[in-house]
Amino acid sequence: MASAVDAVGEPIPTSAVLMSASKHIAGRCRGENIAFLKCKKDDPNPEKCLDKGSQVIRCVLSLLKDLHQKCTKEMDAYPGCMYYNTDEFELCFKQQKEFEKACPLN
Amino acid sequence: MTEAFIRNKPGMASVKDMPLLQDGPPPGGFAPVRYARRIPSKGPSAVAIFLAAFGTFSWGMYEVGKGNKIRRAIKEEKYAARRAILPMLQAEEDERFVKEWKKYLEEEARIMKDVPGWKVGESVYHSGKWMPPATGELRPEVW
Repeated sequence: MASAVDAVGEPIPTSAVLMSASKHIAGRCRGENIAFLKCKKDDPNPEKCLDKGSQVIRCVLSLLKDLHQKCTKEMDAYPGCMYYNTDEFELCFKQQKEFEKACPLN
Repeated sequence: MTEAFIRNKPGMASVKDMPLLQDGPPPGGFAPVRYARRIPSKGPSAVAIFLAAFGTFSWGMYEVGKGNKIRRAIKEEKYAARRAILPMLQAEEDERFVKEWKKYLEEEARIMKDVPGWKVGESVYHSGKWMPPATGELRPEVW
């Protein structure tokens, strides 16, 4: 599997990358997530919630880029392990611990 | 002749006076043989056995409960991660869907432009809520 970012440096939101950063996403993009879900609950039409959706995507992608810049090695190792073990947390405890030590959830 | 030679008693007059040679008990008889049951009544009592079994079972169920807690924590971590990334995935899919839907509506308008009273993109349902298109294929290029 290639790195978590493509050639330019933009983060690729694959399932392994997203699951690895899920705790950070839950912490930092919490407001955008809740706003988007509330909008969806009121009206499931995709066209009505496009703006909130783009806010969510922007928040998550910027978070991924930030994580990759702060702890590049762990951000390659942990999603690599998740990719190999199909997103099973219990098989990647070692990489998860190193990742949380390098980029703590504040 | 041999029998008389074996069972010879010195001073016997004829063969008819030979002493008997039998396989019999030793003098004084055999020693007594025990054939009565002797099952000892020692060891743990019924209450002790029951308590030991119940205690083992309880300890085992306690360990099962501990293991279930750990397994539930692992599952909860997985579900929390899925909940955290759900809006991102839905938002990405919404953007892709809106792009495709606009193309589809343009195609529909082109096909039905000569039909009087046709509202392009009108919902076929009367409920008023938005329903996803029921074409049977979510993403034709993938499926």
